[in-house]
Amino acid sequence: MAKLPMKQVRIYGLKSHRKAILEALQRFGVLEPISKDLSELGFSKTDTAKSAATFAKAAETINGAVDVLERYAPEKKPLLSMLGGKKMLSVSQYYNTVDNAGRALDIAREINELSKNNYELEADIAKCESAITSLEPWSGLDIPMDFKGTKKTRALIGTFPEEKTVADILNGINEALAGEGKADDPLYAVDVNVLRAETSFTNACVFCRREKSGEIETCLRNMGFARPAYVTGRPPLEEAEKLKKQIKDDRALIEKNSKRIETQTKHRDLLKFMVDYYNMRIEKYETLGDTNQREKFFVIYGYVPEKYCARLEDELTRKYDAAVEIGEPGKEDEPPVLLHNNPFSEPVESVLETYSMPGKFEIDPTFIMSLFYYFLFGMMLSDAGYGLLMIVGCAFLVLRFRDMAPGTRKALKMFFWCGISTFIWGILFGGFFGDAIPVISRTFFGHEVAFPALWFEPIKDPMRMLIFAFLVGIIHLFTGLGIKFYQMVKDGDVKGAIYDVIFWYLLVGGGIVYLLSMQMFVDMAGLSFKLPPAAGTAAAICAGIGALGIILFAGRSSRNPAKRVAKGLYELYGVTSYLSDILSYSRLLALGLATGVIAQVFNQMGSMFGGGPIGAICFILVFVIGHALNMAINLLGAYVHTNRLQFVEFFGKFYEGGGRKFSPFTANTKYYKFKEEN
Amino acid sequence: MENLGIVFALAGAALAALMAGIGSAIGVGMAGEAAAGVVTEDPNKFGKVLILQLLPGTQGIYGLLIAFITLSQIGILGGNADTAMSTAKGLLYLAACLPMAFVGLWSAIRQARAAVSGIQLVSKRPDQMGKSMIFAAMVETYAILALLISILSITGIGSLAM
Repeated sequence: MAKLPMKQVRIYGLKSHRKAILEALQRFGVLEPISKDLSELGFSKTDTAKSAATFAKAAETINGAVDVLERYAPEKKPLLSMLGGKKMLSVSQYYNTVDNAGRALDIAREINELSKNNYELEADIAKCESAITSLEPWSGLDIPMDFKGTKKTRALIGTFPEEKTVADILNGINEALAGEGKADDPLYAVDVNVLRAETSFTNACVFCRREKSGEIETCLRNMGFARPAYVTGRPPLEEAEKLKKQIKDDRALIEKNSKRIETQTKHRDLLKFMVDYYNMRIEKYETLGDTNQREKFFVIYGYVPEKYCARLEDELTRKYDAAVEIGEPGKEDEPPVLLHNNPFSEPVESVLETYSMPGKFEIDPTFIMSLFYYFLFGMMLSDAGYGLLMIVGCAFLVLRFRDMAPGTRKALKMFFWCGISTFIWGILFGGFFGDAIPVISRTFFGHEVAFPALWFEPIKDPMRMLIFAFLVGIIHLFTGLGIKFYQMVKDGDVKGAIYDVIFWYLLVGGGIVYLLSMQMFVDMAGLSFKLPPAAGTAAAICAGIGALGIILFAGRSSRNPAKRVAKGLYELYGVTSYLSDILSYSRLLALGLATGVIAQVFNQMGSMFGGGPIGAICFILVFVIGHALNMAINLLGAYVHTNRLQFVEFFGKFYEGGGRKFSPFTANTKYYKFKEEN
Repeated sequence: MENLGIVFALAGAALAALMAGIGSAIGVGMAGEAAAGVVTEDPNKFGKVLILQLLPGTQGIYGLLIAFITLSQIGILGGNADTAMSTAKGLLYLAACLPMAFVGLWSAIRQARAAVSGIQLVSKRPDQMGKSMIFAAMVETYAILALLISILSITGIGSLAM
């Protein structure tokens, strides 16, 4: 349980080695740069924002090309391959690839261009298809759709919004003309051709004399006649043929483009590498932009964990002629925090991180927290079968995928240890996939095989389980107080440690012992023992001393005695929070029961089909689905509520956090990681 | 009218499953809508928002738990129902189921609102996942307390001589 000690480091190097030194620092990934303004001492900084933006654009282009490749030729990935982590590349491989990388941007541009072209072609195809659909009802027309007429006649081509026959249209025109007394005038003769008539529309072509076309068109318009939306200079059938040919050409082009893109998949690894490469350069340039430089040399300030200092100094001085100064961080500095714990506790660091990293003067509580974490998690899930599945599953994945991303690996290791705890609690409380063993043996083999609890079954004796949960809670809370005591003594505040911790131990501890000597409480809790009255009296006295101490000393920051006592009384009121904190541990019982009882429900449902082969098949189905569901939900529940007990009840007693996580200058890559060669 | 006991007891079990189930259904639905909104923007957050969506689902399970314990206590599950149960005892079972029924309904809906806010938090700051889960889990405490009282009461009633 420790925070790694941090050193403040200054690296001086010649400008001619600037690139090499920065790249070396990036590969080591152990230095977190400190931003300093040394302009008063004659240092200046280079503006790298422009270059960084250029790299960002290149990275974006190549990333786009990688996405296109993924769409056209998805990489075949075996199941669970996302656990495989990043590919490892050595430094010499790195430089080889960088040398061959000149073409990558061109390749990426070509791929993006082809993909864009395909989008446009597809849009064109859609356009042509809709045009063909709208031309189809005009297929009977054998003159161009924009045909205006001959020297003497005029053609009116258009659509009526309802079904009409030739006679309907003629009648309509005649009626309109009759109103003006021109019904039988031969000058108004018309030739009506209906090309297509359906319930919702009628396409027609009407010929008339050129000089009367205006009047005739007005008559037609009054019947709802309108010009078509899509007009071409060719007869509709011919136009449709042309569009079809265009679609065919477009398709061929898309095919060709896709083939071309697919042949470019051979560059996929190069492109992925280049994405990483540019992202690394962006980070490098950001660091470079914050580096103080003079004419011939530059200086980098940074935090480095103590254990890496020697190697870094050796490497930089030997290879790059740099000078390295190592010193302690100043009093006002806030060095970043990097945790280091034993393999058993390490996985829980990520839980601590979720809350907050330890502050400057705080110890790292990961080890103690990990003990309780596994303990409480196991108690909530408490099923030997589920525990076994977690152990086997996590161990398999961790051993199978050695290059897994560190975060995933930590999480799996955490669930491995939680699984062991779950298994142990399952044996103690007699749960193996609920009551699977008795149910299966009874249903399929005729005689019941019991799976007795090593300790007791919570469902049969919930009160006992509840008291045990409270006991666990009290131990958890008192441990938290103990850490506070240690912390305060370590900081030299012994008096404060007595006032703020010992008095609370006396008050809460005394109160609990006093309760144990009361007949009423013993009856209620169903305890098999009762403390003698003398112990009760002693406990009451202890609690009294504690309470008095809190009243007198908790408000010691105030000079005014009245105010001080008032503050003390207020602090004493905080005893109610202990009550609610302890009661909060009842979730250990509730969640433990939830797992067991729901597992029993599924077993019972499965066994309803009776014995025999069909019963067995149904049982297996119900069993697998039901337990998968139950395990998933209760894993989530156990995880969330273990976190809560740690964050709220346990950390509430001593932990503030507020530290900043160590985030070194390193290669934050997506596809590859790079190994330093010696 | 002598045998109304078992009717009341069953009504209690049904109420626990019903109300807590309704609460969870509403809650998970609300959180699901918010989660879907986040996933339209960034499909990679699916795993995170799914966990937050599931949080208000536990009340339904607690309700089921209470219903199941009640059913097996009064013998409806297991095939030897206590048809001669006195009305008073039946009412006791009904009362014992009520904390889970009511608190389950309300806390699931309230927890869902915390979960929806948590989902919005995660959509903007995915690194704050742990904290957003805790906010929703705070509400669940009260469902757990209700569950506890219901369990303790139901298992206690069985041994009463009535």
